[in-house]
Amino acid sequence: MTTHPLVGTRRFLGLGEPLATAALAGVAVGAVALVDPNEPGHYPTCPFLALTGLYCPGCGSLRAVHALTNGDVTTAVGLNVLTVLAVVGLSLLWARWAWRSWTGARRTTVAPAALLWSLSVVVVVFGVLRNVPIGGALAP
Amino acid sequence: MSDTGSNDPYDPNRPSQPAPGTPPPPPAAPQWGSNPPAAPDQPGQFGQPQYGQPQYGQPQYGQPQYGQPQYGQPAGSPPPNYLVWAIVSTVLCCLPLGVASIVFAAQVNGKYASGDVAGAQESSARAKKFAIWSAVVGLVVGALYLITFVVLARNSDTSY
Repeated sequence: MTTHPLVGTRRFLGLGEPLATAALAGVAVGAVALVDPNEPGHYPTCPFLALTGLYCPGCGSLRAVHALTNGDVTTAVGLNVLTVLAVVGLSLLWARWAWRSWTGARRTTVAPAALLWSLSVVVVVFGVLRNVPIGGALAP
Repeated sequence: MSDTGSNDPYDPNRPSQPAPGTPPPPPAAPQWGSNPPAAPDQPGQFGQPQYGQPQYGQPQYGQPQYGQPQYGQPAGSPPPNYLVWAIVSTVLCCLPLGVASIVFAAQVNGKYASGDVAGAQESSARAKKFAIWSAVVGLVVGALYLITFVVLARNSDTSY
C-alpha cells in the first residue's frame, strides 16, 4: 500500500546496506570457518568466563558457528543452541530487510513487545541454566 | 492524611499517563538523520506540539489505542527498535548491555503498539544510544582484552 516502487539503479542503491552487512558477516563467518576456535590459542577466552569462571549466554558461539560452517548442526546446537537460533533469526530478518530495501516498502508492523520481553528472559534463563547441574546439556 | 494530596497526580483532565518522569526532549529530532533505511517518513511528525497536547488529539491516533495501529497511520513507520544490534551484542558476549538493549527494543514496540508514538520514539532514541554504547564498550573491551591476551601469550612463551 505505501510502497514506493523503485526502478533501475535506485534498487541497487537501496540494497547497499543489506549487501554491505552480508559482506561483513560473510568475512567474519569465513574467518571463524578458517581459523578453528576448537584449537586453544586461536581466540581469546570469553572475558566473562575468564573473569567469573561462569559461562555467559554467548559462550560456545564461536565453536558453534565453526561447526555450522562444516554443516555439523548437532554439534552446533550442543555448543550453543541460542546461537543457532540467532543465526536463523538474523538471516530471516536480513532477508526481510533486503526485500524491503529492494522494493522500497516501509516497515509498518512491529513485533509483539511480549515476544521481545520473553527473548530477554530466555537469554538470562539460558545463561543461568547452563551453569547449574540441571542445565548441563546447555553448557558449551 | 492521604486524602489531601490525592488530587494532584490524578487530575481528571488526564485520561492516560502523558509522559514518564523525565521531560521528553523533542524525540523526533534525532530521528531524521539516523533513520537509514526509510524513505522520508512521517510528514506530520515535526509539526505537532509534542508537549502540551494530550496524546489522543493528533490525527495519527484516530484509532482506538489498542487496535491495530498500522491501519490508522498511513504515513507512519514504526520507530526503529535496534533489535538486531541487541541480539548481535548479546551473542558477541557483551552480556548486561545486550539484555538491556533487548528490553529497550521491547519498550519501543510495546509503546508503539499501544498508540504511544512519542513514547516509542523516546525509547527508540534510548535503544539507539544503548546500541552505540554496547558497540563502543564491546570494541574497547575487546581491544584491551586482545592486547592483554597477546602480551600474556608473549610473556608466557619463553621458549622463543
